[in-house]
Amino acid sequence: MSAFVLMFFATLFSLALHRTFVFKPFVLLMIVLSGFLIFLKTPVLMYGFAQSSATNLFLLVIFIALLAFTLSEDKEINITQSLFIGAASVLLLRGTTLLTFVFSFEAVSIISFAVVGHIRSSIQADGAVKMFISGALATALIVLGLALFTFGGGNFNLSLSNIHFNALMEVGLWVMLAGIFYKLTIVPMHSWAADSYANIKPSSAALLSGIAKSVVFVAVLKLFEPFFIQTLHVSIFILIVLSVLTMTLGNILAMFQKRVGKMLAYSSIAQAGYMLMVFIAVKDSYAQIGLLYLAIAYVFMQTALYLLLDNIGGGISDITLDDVKGLVKKDRLVSLFFAIQIFSLAGVPLLAGFMGKAIATYAVVDAGYWIVALIALLNSTFSIGYYGWFIKNIYFDHSVKQSRVISVSTSAKIAQIILLGGTLFFGIFAFAVFHTSFCSL
Amino acid sequence: MIYLLTIFLPMLLAGYIYLFTRRIGGAKYIALALFVALFIEAWLTYANLLPSGYTMLGSYLDVKRFDFVLTLQVDRFSVIMLLLVSVLLIFVTLTSWSVKHQSAYFSLLIFFAGPIFGLFMSTNLLWFFIFWELTLIPIYFLIGIWGDKQRIFAAMKFFIYTHLASMLMLLAFFLLYKQSTTFDMTQIKEGALTTPALIWWLLFIAFAIKMPLFPFHTWLPIAHVEAPAPVSSLLAGVLLKMGAYGMIRLVVLMLPDQAQKYDYIILILGLATLFYAAFMALYTTHIKKMVAYSSISHMGLVAIAISALSFSGLSSALFEMIGHALIISILFVIAGIFHEKTGSWQMGDMGGIMQKAPYLATLFVIGGLAALGLPSTIGFIGELSVLISAIMAHGVWLAVIAAASLLSAGYFIWAFRRVIYGKQSKVVALTNFAIHPVVFGALAIFAILVIVFGIFPQFLFSGIDRAFDTYHLLGGLA
Repeated sequence: MSAFVLMFFATLFSLALHRTFVFKPFVLLMIVLSGFLIFLKTPVLMYGFAQSSATNLFLLVIFIALLAFTLSEDKEINITQSLFIGAASVLLLRGTTLLTFVFSFEAVSIISFAVVGHIRSSIQADGAVKMFISGALATALIVLGLALFTFGGGNFNLSLSNIHFNALMEVGLWVMLAGIFYKLTIVPMHSWAADSYANIKPSSAALLSGIAKSVVFVAVLKLFEPFFIQTLHVSIFILIVLSVLTMTLGNILAMFQKRVGKMLAYSSIAQAGYMLMVFIAVKDSYAQIGLLYLAIAYVFMQTALYLLLDNIGGGISDITLDDVKGLVKKDRLVSLFFAIQIFSLAGVPLLAGFMGKAIATYAVVDAGYWIVALIALLNSTFSIGYYGWFIKNIYFDHSVKQSRVISVSTSAKIAQIILLGGTLFFGIFAFAVFHTSFCSL
Repeated sequence: MIYLLTIFLPMLLAGYIYLFTRRIGGAKYIALALFVALFIEAWLTYANLLPSGYTMLGSYLDVKRFDFVLTLQVDRFSVIMLLLVSVLLIFVTLTSWSVKHQSAYFSLLIFFAGPIFGLFMSTNLLWFFIFWELTLIPIYFLIGIWGDKQRIFAAMKFFIYTHLASMLMLLAFFLLYKQSTTFDMTQIKEGALTTPALIWWLLFIAFAIKMPLFPFHTWLPIAHVEAPAPVSSLLAGVLLKMGAYGMIRLVVLMLPDQAQKYDYIILILGLATLFYAAFMALYTTHIKKMVAYSSISHMGLVAIAISALSFSGLSSALFEMIGHALIISILFVIAGIFHEKTGSWQMGDMGGIMQKAPYLATLFVIGGLAALGLPSTIGFIGELSVLISAIMAHGVWLAVIAAASLLSAGYFIWAFRRVIYGKQSKVVALTNFAIHPVVFGALAIFAILVIVFGIFPQFLFSGIDRAFDTYHLLGGLA
């Protein structure tokens, strides 16, 4: 809890420090301190991950990503809000009852409306409004679901483990999940995300799609696991259909995009499909590790890519594939960052994305649904179509004259090195995740 | 530890060379030194092998839960592959001596060396997959950046198609792990599997794409044609061999019962590949395409030899693989030089090169004659041993393979007629065929090897024959 308190007060205090030179150092110090507080609770050393808590490991990952975000971002208000998201994430991941989940989920939601609220162009206004409306709808569904669940269960503050679900409670939870799936960009609740992620400032998209979405995914699995297991005979079909639709549609639509932000948005939807796929195997012992690994990998690669997009475009949200043509001739290092993170998304080995996908897919195979795993793997082949095409634009093409790409600052490059380190570390040293468990909170 | 470094040091070194040697140069010398060192290492490993079975080299990064263990074990078969790969890498470095953008080019080659060594050394299937997939990345860039006009299409098709193969393989590995609770290929027992047929088919298609066998081959001709010439020889000499290695190691030796059940599938696809590619080579007028189809045709021979499922079949498959790598590398590089100098791919535009560049033309003729199986070259021994083992396993009707040899004689001798001999064309008359002596030296050494191993095949066979002697359980072991 101390990490939460620290982050929360850091958020408030940082507001007072805006436009002073101590702002960034203060924020960085606070993030490092909170990370350190979590680190102290778990013996997270090279070989000391044994029996440590998965939640703590994930929180550390989040704080590392926030550190990189702070280094890379230039808008102070965004940084303050990212601190708040960090604080809310602690609550969201630590919460054990439905009520705390809903409250902290809404905290993350509402602050994310504020994050996209800095509108500088009509495109960004479009993205922000879509996000706001869909978010409102999602909130309505979640609260309705909570009401139904409470009405059915007769208690306001239930945890989902060790209880029997009656029909009303089940309906309530499914309504609530429908609302949550908006935030998780599951087809058919995805269409806002494709526009919002692509149209808002890319660094905000990094925060929302890279960090907030992964946190919600892990929190949902943690909280709803008993519910899915108990109602598996129904939920399995819903989950299979939704996950297959999400990954396939995301991948196919991503292929037709000309704007990098939009391509990443659809790829993010496809990745949500892979994450949802893990829920099919919810009974399997690899499911938790699989989702956690996917989420960790996702935090690094998605945050890195949107931040890079923000850096090379100077905050504009409509960088196209033509703009990045021949990027390698302008900046070898930035191109390399792009290439490695894209390869990680595509599932190239020794990068975190591969291990995440491999373990998630194995969980599904282990649960007996190898056909679903095959569909996921074939989807991964589709995705090479656009990931490879993006790399092709950077490396194989000649640059175009009217490219709007600008040079990237040193602190942004340091941020990228931090994120790249995460992608590489979790790609090779799998024991870091394997030796954790959700049980020992 | 040295073996762990063999895999990961090149990958780190590649990053360093890419970012820091652009201005100072010297990347090619580092590459050459590294590959020579790798060859020496492979040779020492070969000399220190246990008399039979696997020799343990080390085990790292132990994650028991998912069997994510980098187990490095080699037997004679894999070390022979390591020797072949390191020789090919040296050849590719020498024949790329004056390539453009050297720091990037050689860093990719160096990067490639790490996973390819890992692939042949690892017996853990998960790591086998990791290395398998990692080899795609440098080749994708090598084709996409240094390739010809249609390089982007070729690179994308290569990446997507081979990634598809990898995905099928990964699913097969997951099923194997689920059913036998280990990723170690030496521990997996076919009898313990619940769905061996499904696994066999997934693996078979995956490796058939990589080899490539007939209906799955379409990625290769375009990749071969568009890739720069040394990379084409890398594709033919190493990447296709990965497919053949997997076919032998996992499809035949790991799942012998299923292989026995479906051996006719391998045979039919092998024959189809052999003849289809031979006819395509006869039809085309594009010199590199002809060499590419001849290369695919030879992989058909390898598949036929594998389908014999016998000791002699596997030995001749391995021999043919080595022969093919040596021969086709010469042909690809010289075809590339002809194109680079004359500016044309069409054999019709060439003609009479022998008068202008006698030494180079002679090397091309040696390569071509070896490819069509002239006695006293390595190609003859390879084809003959494949023919014999196939007839022993499947019956006399397989003498039809000899007809394919006839076809290859058809297209190669016709190609000599159009390109090397005959009237000197206008294009050739205006061309200067001078090449860097290092490139010529590399080609000449390979040509000499082709002849030496053709006359003294015992030297190779003495190693190859012992590669499979531990596998007694195969059906027609003879």
